[in-house]
Amino acid sequence: MIKIADLITPERVVCDADVSSKKRGLELLSELVAERDSELQSTAIFNKLISRERLGSTGLGHGVAIPHARIEGMPSACAAFIKLREGIDFDAFDQQPVDMLFSLVVPEHFTDEHLQILARLAEMFSDVAFCRQLRDCTDDTALHGLLVQWDSGTRGD
Amino acid sequence: MDFANQIILIAGLLFLVSILASVISSRIGAPLLLVFLLIGMLMGESGPGGIEFHDFPTAYLIGSLALAVILFDGGLRTKVETFRVGLRPAVTLATLGVLLTVGITGLLTALVLDLPLIVGLLIAAIVGSTDAAAVFYLLRAHGLELKQRVGATLEIESGSNDPMAIFLTIALVEFIVGEHTSLGVGLAVEFVQQMGIGAVIGLSGGLLLQLLINRIRLTPGLYPLLAVSGALLLFGAAAVLEGSGFLAVYLAGILLGNRPLQSAQNIRRFHDGLAWLAQIIMFLMLGLLVTPRELLEVAVPALVVAAILILLARPLAVVACLLPFRFPWREQLFVGWVGLRGAVPILLGLLPFLAGAEGAAMYFNIAFFVVLISLVVQGWTVAPLAHWLQLDVPPRSRVVHRLELDLPGQAEFELVGYTIEADSPAVYKMVGRLTLPENTRIVTVVRQGEPLADACDDILQVNDYVYVLTSPDRLPALDRVFVAEHGPARLEEHVFFGDFVLNGETDLDDLAGAYGLDIPDRKDSDRDLNSYLLRLFKNQAVVGDRVRLNNMEFVVREMDNGQITRVGLKIRRQAGEKR
Repeated sequence: MIKIADLITPERVVCDADVSSKKRGLELLSELVAERDSELQSTAIFNKLISRERLGSTGLGHGVAIPHARIEGMPSACAAFIKLREGIDFDAFDQQPVDMLFSLVVPEHFTDEHLQILARLAEMFSDVAFCRQLRDCTDDTALHGLLVQWDSGTRGD
Repeated sequence: MDFANQIILIAGLLFLVSILASVISSRIGAPLLLVFLLIGMLMGESGPGGIEFHDFPTAYLIGSLALAVILFDGGLRTKVETFRVGLRPAVTLATLGVLLTVGITGLLTALVLDLPLIVGLLIAAIVGSTDAAAVFYLLRAHGLELKQRVGATLEIESGSNDPMAIFLTIALVEFIVGEHTSLGVGLAVEFVQQMGIGAVIGLSGGLLLQLLINRIRLTPGLYPLLAVSGALLLFGAAAVLEGSGFLAVYLAGILLGNRPLQSAQNIRRFHDGLAWLAQIIMFLMLGLLVTPRELLEVAVPALVVAAILILLARPLAVVACLLPFRFPWREQLFVGWVGLRGAVPILLGLLPFLAGAEGAAMYFNIAFFVVLISLVVQGWTVAPLAHWLQLDVPPRSRVVHRLELDLPGQAEFELVGYTIEADSPAVYKMVGRLTLPENTRIVTVVRQGEPLADACDDILQVNDYVYVLTSPDRLPALDRVFVAEHGPARLEEHVFFGDFVLNGETDLDDLAGAYGLDIPDRKDSDRDLNSYLLRLFKNQAVVGDRVRLNNMEFVVREMDNGQITRVGLKIRRQAGEKR
């Protein structure tokens, strides 16, 4: 099973980002994911993310969203995480503003893996204490550390 | 004078004990009606109370009145929206279902107990109707909410099958005492007449009653009385014209409960109390009426009847009646099991007495015993069964205090109160910056007994009390703002509905593309998720229905006008993926 640590690098974590809209949030995430691989256009990723949002918001409720997409030509699964200074409207079902966004982009042939990682991410963000820790973070490194730690933590599953 | 005072003292004591018993009953999960019945028996001739009561005509009169009040209240609470999924199956169960149940029970009872067929049929007809009030009370006591299709079917069925059982019982009693010579065409004609007159009087009378209530200016306290006197008038009018009074009051209740009505909340609250009073009076009285010693004499035949009814007749009738509606098997099993018998069979057990039929005591005692068994066996298992069959859905609202407002000429609004708990999502947030659903306004915040003058800039603290003005359909959204999720783990919102939410109009091709899905059984007409799921659930989808595709589950999450607007997407974790 892919670990969170395999998905995310410190460069793709941004703390206290200033983002004013859902669109800007998705753009920033697309840029972060694309950065590693110059072949990948961040616009292609952005388009996929935004078309997924049209099916229904990827907001999980309680201020967290997991925008996700499968992208052709992607060599491996890749993620980015941003924590916003101010929550933005994300059309989440609970209508609450979203201030933490974790985007997941996987190669097109990842179908089951895609779902399994999503389920794992959703489980991670349903941990109320963990979300509080994330929100209390003040810099990128600490955020990244927490995310990586959750995976290898004492949870026995 | 002394005698009158003693009666008042005893009546007061009986009511008090019964009402207090409801607290214990919901704690131990026992059906409340059973408790009322037992209290009545304890107060009766064989118990410490020692009250002798054998006045069958009076008992029947009081029982009929109480039943009329209960049915009227049941009608007031029945929401026409639930007719979409519940009406046709319920009406089939209430007519054909009763006929089948009575037929099977009667035949087998006569066979097993070696009784004349007609006697077997009469016993079966007496115990033929179900009582849903007990079921819903039990479910509420356990904090369970049933899926709408099952809940609506049971509720409408129990409201509408009493007239059928009553009709069959009266017809059979009349046959036994020799008023009818055959059970053929004449009976069918009489049935149509009874139901037809009952329906016409109930519906037209209900409309007139609504008109009267809305036109006339009264002291607020008199509106509920106007409604109940109207209901009794309709009951009497229908019965005098040889129609079914019970059907008439039930239909009138549905009409009043679903049309704009002056002072509607006032009427509803009054009838809630009145229906409780009627239940208590009826069960206490029936408990007083029975002679427990005689019950033991019919124990064996009663057990046989109950076993046939509960284990064979009801499940078979339910499966047969629900066949065209293709209910999922879990739901058929549940409806088949939950044919709880209430006061009506005991009441009908009095009819042979009143008609002077031979061996009348046997009918009454058997009916009584069957109801006892049903309340104990079925009553006690309803909530665990609903849970086990996964027919419960997350409760829609966790609001602490609701006050419905009757504002003349206004759309429906409610004033609801929330206590801010330490784990509330709203705690330590600024009141003015809470994201509230549309059409809701915070009216005031009460802190340590003092309403805050201008709450907007205040930070919510633990134990604050927030009052919000809202329309009732926004309650679930409002709950999310103020109340942390609690309750059984399986029913936590994200566990039940999955983590993601899709729109009903999501294009199937886009959905398949996003997740690399193969969509099985797809027809050309299925463009979006809504039409696809509606077809899979035969246009009878309800919240909580789920279908599995590959490693995903789609769960119907919100519906509007028979269309699916939101669908939960739940990902099934693979066991093999665990480290």
